[in-house]
Amino acid sequence: MAANALEVRSLTKVIGRKKIVDDVSFSVHKGEIFGLLGPNGAGKTTIIRMIVSLIKRTDGAVMVNGNNLDGQFKETMSEIGAIVENPEFYKYMSGYKNLKHYANMAIKDVSDERIKEVARLVKLEDAIHQKVKTYSLGMRQRLGVAQALLHNPSLLILDEPTNGLDPQGIREFRDYLHSLAREGISVLVSSHLLSEMQLMCDRFAIIEKGKLIHISSMNETMDEAEAAEVVFEVSNSKKAVELLKGQAAAANVKVITDDQFSVSVEKSAVSTINKLLIVNDIDVYGISRVTATLEDRFLEITNKEVKEA
Amino acid sequence: MISLIRNELMKMFQRKSSLIYLIIIVLAVIAGGIIYNKVVGEPNENWQAEVKAEISQMQQDSKEASGEEKQFINNQIEQKQKYLDENINPNAVSNWHFMNDVVYGMTMLVSLLAVIVCSASVSSEFADGTIKQLLIRPHQRWAILLSKYLSLIIYSLMLVATLIAAGYLVGLVIYGNGDFSAKIFDMAIDGQKETAVGPQFFLKIAFYLPSLLIITAIAFMLSTLFKSQALAVGIGIFVLFISSSLGGLIVVLADKYEWAKYLIFPHLDLTVYALQDKILGDITLPISLTILAVYYAFFMAMTFVFFQRRDISI
Repeated sequence: MAANALEVRSLTKVIGRKKIVDDVSFSVHKGEIFGLLGPNGAGKTTIIRMIVSLIKRTDGAVMVNGNNLDGQFKETMSEIGAIVENPEFYKYMSGYKNLKHYANMAIKDVSDERIKEVARLVKLEDAIHQKVKTYSLGMRQRLGVAQALLHNPSLLILDEPTNGLDPQGIREFRDYLHSLAREGISVLVSSHLLSEMQLMCDRFAIIEKGKLIHISSMNETMDEAEAAEVVFEVSNSKKAVELLKGQAAAANVKVITDDQFSVSVEKSAVSTINKLLIVNDIDVYGISRVTATLEDRFLEITNKEVKEA
Repeated sequence: MISLIRNELMKMFQRKSSLIYLIIIVLAVIAGGIIYNKVVGEPNENWQAEVKAEISQMQQDSKEASGEEKQFINNQIEQKQKYLDENINPNAVSNWHFMNDVVYGMTMLVSLLAVIVCSASVSSEFADGTIKQLLIRPHQRWAILLSKYLSLIIYSLMLVATLIAAGYLVGLVIYGNGDFSAKIFDMAIDGQKETAVGPQFFLKIAFYLPSLLIITAIAFMLSTLFKSQALAVGIGIFVLFISSSLGGLIVVLADKYEWAKYLIFPHLDLTVYALQDKILGDITLPISLTILAVYYAFFMAMTFVFFQRRDISI
């Protein structure tokens, strides 16, 4: 079996008496975009900084392509390209000099050709010889991607990569990540922006108060939701609602307009309701499932945790 | 390691300030040369007659004076007589006198600029946030820190070399090439010492280098301790001036307490050994160097241990 691109085992960080990160384990498969999701201060950044060894681990292990970070520091780190929060550069130097600086630090030889190629890839070839202080935030973000990709890493680690990007920039960035993943690069990305993660990731983990409380793929999450909101378009919504109030399978029955009502039901119960309406002489013109957003799902999961705790 | 040092030097010289500091030294030496030339004037051919006249004037004064004043004047006469006996012109000027009198004094400026650059070194990476991009490379932290330190040593030596080269050239332009081994009396705490001007200059520079090494090590340590560049530079300069002004206090302390001799401050200025063999009563050059080496090892250990363990969470 091929090793995972990234494997994190019982990662723990204790500062003073406080457990900032508590026994977090997950793995990122090859060619997958994996999201770390959680509110601000949940410990996402600490987890990422422990993986790239900016912060010392209290406990736990990090494996990249089967190599242990502790034993094979250089090999492991040269497989990783990372942007940790806003990428900062030496503003008094040109974009090219900045990239050259990081190229010099790579173990594998990075040619000047490769630097130019990466600059072209992030569409900075025209501005690459200007000083970084003249760059816009979006350009700096792209230069950040360039420095992360420079040494052909197999694992890309991005901490809040879309902070400060405009919607256009976010979209470009997302498309770009998908194209990288298609090329076989694995990506670990963290964010507190749920809607964005929904569009970006294949799988995700939810981190709250330093603990990993949920892990699943994006599609699973959407289907698995026990009861989804379904909107029915009917000839007489009031009559329909009266009818459904007695049914156990239907909850939260609400009239929206004269010919629309909504109800929370499980997937299998939708057709039961449909039959019931028709039998009772109510015409059904349309049934549409309101897709639960990741945000709903996220709140559902985190709220459940709170109740259980 | 060489590519890391090359990177650090590239960053250093892409900053305008690093070049401006070198230019400041050159300008200071030129200004010093012009002022020195105005104040000291041209070499006097008839200095022997002048000194004789001064001595006879002082002998007159001495007869009228009494007590301590008389003692003081007699000492002066003695010194002037020495110049006559040894045939040394007290007002001699040449490019080497300029080097010994003025250029050497400007090592203080070198220390100041070196402290500014060193204490900004790591702290500026923290202040700009670039440290996190720097430390996610496949290099151990200590190697990155060492490359920074070595590049700072290279820069500090460049400052010293610029000072000497500029001093020599300015002296050459104003006075022409003088006698490298002209005899002079250099002032020491316990009277005057007869020596040759050129070798004396280089001896003092040689004694200056260890203290530059220590001062920059302290500044470098400060720059790893503080995330704020301004704070690190400010404290670095403060330490520099405190250390140069504490000398007198330590002499008083060392009279009373033995341990005061082992504080770092009296050993920071080793150039006194160019003039005398012992300081603070019984401390010799090897003892001073040993004390400095112990402090140096301590500062370096602190710097590297702290940096190695530090969590980068900016």
